[in-house]
Amino acid sequence: MNAPVLSLRGVSKSYGAVRALVGVDLDVHAHEVVAVVGDNGAGKSTLAGVVSGALLPDTGHVERDGRPVHLVNPAVARAHGIAAVFQDLALCENLDVVENIFLGQEVTQGPLLDEVAMEKHAWELLNQLAARVPSVRAPVGALSGGQRQAVAIARSLLGDPRVVVLDEPTASLGITQTAEVLNLIERLRERGHGVVLISHSMADVQAVADRIVVLRLGRVNGDFDAASTSYEDLIAAVTGVTPSGRSGRAVRADEASR
Amino acid sequence: MNAVQQRGSLTQVELAGVTGLSPATVSNIVKELTGAGVLHTAPTSRSGRRAQQVTLARNLGLVAGVHFGTRSLRVALADVAHRIVAEQRMPLPPDHRADAGLDRAALLLTEMVESLEASMSEVLAVGVGVPAPVDVRTGQVSTLGMLRGWDGVAVPEVLEHRIGVPVHVDNDANLGALAEVRLGAARGHENVLYLRVSHGVGGGLVIGGRLYHGRSGTAGEIGHVTIDENGPICRCGNRGCLETFVGAPVLLGMLQASHGSLTLPDVIARAHDGDPGCRRVISDAGRHLGFAAANVCNLFDPDLVVVGGRLAQAGALLLEPLRTMLEQRTVPSTAGPVEVVASELGAAAEVRGALAVALDRVGIAASMVATG
Repeated sequence: MNAPVLSLRGVSKSYGAVRALVGVDLDVHAHEVVAVVGDNGAGKSTLAGVVSGALLPDTGHVERDGRPVHLVNPAVARAHGIAAVFQDLALCENLDVVENIFLGQEVTQGPLLDEVAMEKHAWELLNQLAARVPSVRAPVGALSGGQRQAVAIARSLLGDPRVVVLDEPTASLGITQTAEVLNLIERLRERGHGVVLISHSMADVQAVADRIVVLRLGRVNGDFDAASTSYEDLIAAVTGVTPSGRSGRAVRADEASR
Repeated sequence: MNAVQQRGSLTQVELAGVTGLSPATVSNIVKELTGAGVLHTAPTSRSGRRAQQVTLARNLGLVAGVHFGTRSLRVALADVAHRIVAEQRMPLPPDHRADAGLDRAALLLTEMVESLEASMSEVLAVGVGVPAPVDVRTGQVSTLGMLRGWDGVAVPEVLEHRIGVPVHVDNDANLGALAEVRLGAARGHENVLYLRVSHGVGGGLVIGGRLYHGRSGTAGEIGHVTIDENGPICRCGNRGCLETFVGAPVLLGMLQASHGSLTLPDVIARAHDGDPGCRRVISDAGRHLGFAAANVCNLFDPDLVVVGGRLAQAGALLLEPLRTMLEQRTVPSTAGPVEVVASELGAAAEVRGALAVALDRVGIAASMVATG
């Protein structure tokens, strides 16, 4: 398999005496959905922060295409082709879909906004995701949870990032909207993006992920091949019943031999 | 009436052809039923002539179709004229269990009905397709080990308990076959073999215009036809089944060393882009399918073979080797080799079939009483 587009090497992060991440290694390839699961306080959100440039690791570093990069803030991360969608989505309720997608990155023609170009591009992005949004001129406040998620993901795709980080995209969504978001994630993967999916819903993660990385108390507690791992093995790794997943070791040995 | 129900909408002249009644009789019946508010007519034209398009009136209620695939769930809602009013697909984890899966289906269905501003009481029947043989009389998954966590589960009982609507269950490939005969590539054919090639391999047999189920629902299970008696052990416990040669895990496993981890859509996309390894895997799958299908064709001599499921999206890459093999291995006939076509309804075939089954079981008379 090709080299990973994004790697974390020995990343640690502490908040005072709390060690949120301890020596975490993570690889994300293009065209791959890597899920990060874990209990509350396992370090999932901290990991999302480090990958997206919102947090700086205390030790260790992030590599893009094998070269170490210094992600001092989310804008730098974006410039390196890493986009993130956080749980709160950061959408403006009163603005319409196009305005939200291009907020802060407006397309201009001379002194004026190029509304036509932006609207066309917004439809392109949403169609790529096969997202069902009634109108790009509808205010975001009028959309359902799944549609908002689609708008937030479409915005992250502006500038064609290599890696998209999704932090709890299905939390607080109904089942229809969850289905829409899972379909979106499959579309992202099909389009060749690397996806880091952070979630605590095992069923959602197992439905779309290629690999599942389990975090427990800030450490990686197993790296599983999603297609051949049972729900029980994952729960065991999340709760720490086994020190490291059975199939987890097998997968890593397999990767080492490649 | 049943004819309109099965086909969604058709013209009066077609109706006469289908039912074998004279056009005048059909016209009278349609007039009477339109007066009673059961049918709806609209002027249209067929090959340049004026005609009356006949459909069922909308206010008779809704039916739902649910299709559990190995890795996805698809739910569709339609009115009694077989017009789809809502559809949703959802990826599922591998090895999903019956209880969790049926829970999700019930929740999804309820939410979809609510989003149409209808209530569950308007849903008249639900058709369910599962990727394992089903005894249609009891609704039980009738084999062991084919679908982990679903052995012996009586799907209608479990689901009826959750949603309070009559549920009818069948094998998904059977439903695909039914849909293709009623609405898709095999319209107008009486004897059809349908192959569903996705994660697993299934088959449905339509004989004399009706689905053939056999003794306990395992009829048409072409995925478990032996093609190599010394082959690998299959999930069903036998050796060398077709599925151990063309099932998705096998195809992907063959590419693992050279191409890494792929999914079935990846393989198809790469094959279309000209990747030789992926093309080879698909064409070999086509040959194996042809080999097994030839045995079925020799026994049943169908009018048509329809190939559906995910892998059918590979198109000619899959169908050409399949046709060649089928031609070589079937008894030569003066009528020429059996025609092989791709599914017309694609990924929606099974769910359309589930809708058709639900519609068949509704019994229009009962619904007329219900809606007054």
